[in-house]
Amino acid sequence: MKALNSSNMGGRSMNIQMRESEGAIHGKKGTVDHGNYVEVPVVCGPGVKEIASGEHIHEVFVVGPDGTQASLPSGIVVGEAATADIIFIVLPGVKQDIPLTVDLVGEGSTVHLAGIYLCSGNDHVTFDITMNHRVGHCVSRQVFNGLAANASKAEFFGRIVVAPDAQKTEAYQENHNVVLSDNAHVNTKPRLEIYADDVKCSHGATVGRLDEDAQFYMESRGIPEDEAKVLQMISFVAPVLEYAPEADREALATRVEDAIRHLSSV
Amino acid sequence: MNDILLEIKDLHASAGDKEILRGVNLEIGRGEIHAVMGPNGAGKSTLSSVLTGKPEYTVTQGSIEFMGQDLLAMKPEERAWAGIFMSFQYPIEIPGVSITNFMKTAINSKRKAQGIEPMKAADFLRLMKEKMALVQMKPEFAKREVNVGFSGGEKKRNEIFQMAMLDPTLAILDETDSGLDVDALKIVADGVKALHSPEKSAIIITHYQKLLEYVRPDVVHVLKAGRIVATGGYEIVDKIENEGFEQF
Ligand SMILES: Nc1ncnc2c1ncn2[C@@H]1O[C@H](COP(=O)(O)OP(=O)(O)OP(=O)(O)O)[C@@H](O)[C@H]1O
Ligand SMILES: [Mg+2]
Repeated sequence: MKALNSSNMGGRSMNIQMRESEGAIHGKKGTVDHGNYVEVPVVCGPGVKEIASGEHIHEVFVVGPDGTQASLPSGIVVGEAATADIIFIVLPGVKQDIPLTVDLVGEGSTVHLAGIYLCSGNDHVTFDITMNHRVGHCVSRQVFNGLAANASKAEFFGRIVVAPDAQKTEAYQENHNVVLSDNAHVNTKPRLEIYADDVKCSHGATVGRLDEDAQFYMESRGIPEDEAKVLQMISFVAPVLEYAPEADREALATRVEDAIRHLSSV
Repeated sequence: MNDILLEIKDLHASAGDKEILRGVNLEIGRGEIHAVMGPNGAGKSTLSSVLTGKPEYTVTQGSIEFMGQDLLAMKPEERAWAGIFMSFQYPIEIPGVSITNFMKTAINSKRKAQGIEPMKAADFLRLMKEKMALVQMKPEFAKREVNVGFSGGEKKRNEIFQMAMLDPTLAILDETDSGLDVDALKIVADGVKALHSPEKSAIIITHYQKLLEYVRPDVVHVLKAGRIVATGGYEIVDKIENEGFEQF
């Protein structure tokens, strides 16, 4: 088995980073041990969403202090040649675990999971994601960016499992975080378990602060301190919004911006 | 008759426990262009940073007055609103923020501070277009993220574009001419000249004669080891060119 949980510094050109981990595996015959793979049952139960073969879903879940409009799925089972695009927006004022297991059981499917989390006060948000590539020829992409202010805690556990027969898998995961106060905590743990040998997988995780040079540059142009911070925070999470359905994007961007403005004033 | 725009008295500044500026005295009259030359590490950029309020420098002694106000008591953004602008020696990249959004926010922040309503979108775009043309920046740059992926010369041009947009009373150009090709240097010099007026002053920090040939400074200073060691007219530029900084 090759479990990758590296923490090599350098590489990515994000100037906000303090520490980061990054890894990549490109399929090369003979580099992967096929042992140790334990097949667990496909998720089932009331919180599980089934995406039929050929079906396409694109959903947005906004989690706010008053809960979510629709209940969050705990599992997603994706059939053949299907697509699932899911974006989570976690607003300030939330204490919640968000566990999610995705089982790719049919070939030729694509899953995008995206998320923005804006934690403030004593918020505690935990994403616990398992992406199971059980069959080959599927693509999964995860992009989660979050901010942690005040005494909040944000955690991201992201596991990618590629079964021995899941050849030609592509699985990517990015998790980037900005810590806005000394009392805020971020914990990011990517984990790649790759049992197939012809795959493309990578993960990147960073935890950093706002860029002081960018901050001064903006202030020197007459942008007040708070506004400059807001601009940096918005530009940090904005790329994730590209994963939202086009029709919802602007409204979501506005909600995120409002939440960020509120964050920076607390 | 000559009213003083900027008055620096016995300025000492440190980074950490390293003293970099060790008693700078400088007076700039309204309408004047001053050149500051000096060897690498003399403290030229530090002086610019202290004038604009960069937090990593601590002023340990001395004072700076700008148009009669205590500059050192003001935040960086307040200094910008008061009319100070620095063209950075090493412009900073701001991923995810477009030049348009950056400039709109900068201009409207100042207007807000002055109790003026935000600029109308059409007026703003017209101003952008006009000022980009002044420094011959291609229109597509308006959408690009600030300085991200810009060449060295493009970054410097972007600095002068921002200066044109913000219309400062005191412009500090920290080696804006470094790394520019001959044509770009001409464009930047023409830009600086076009933006100059009898109400405005400039401090031009440079290692080269070329920019000063275009933008004739009224006064030339030599900064060395944190102090101004010589002040004079254009003849100082020639002296430096011929004999270097040893003589001072
Ligand atoms: N933040 C800092 N921490 C420590 N030392 C610093 C800091 N900033 C500047 N210095 C030091 O202070 C001295 C003056 O630096 P400064 O950048 O002002 O020089 P300069 O005159 O602009 O030089 P150049 O012509 O090379 O641009 C240098 O020795 C530099 O290493
Ligand atoms: Mg310098």
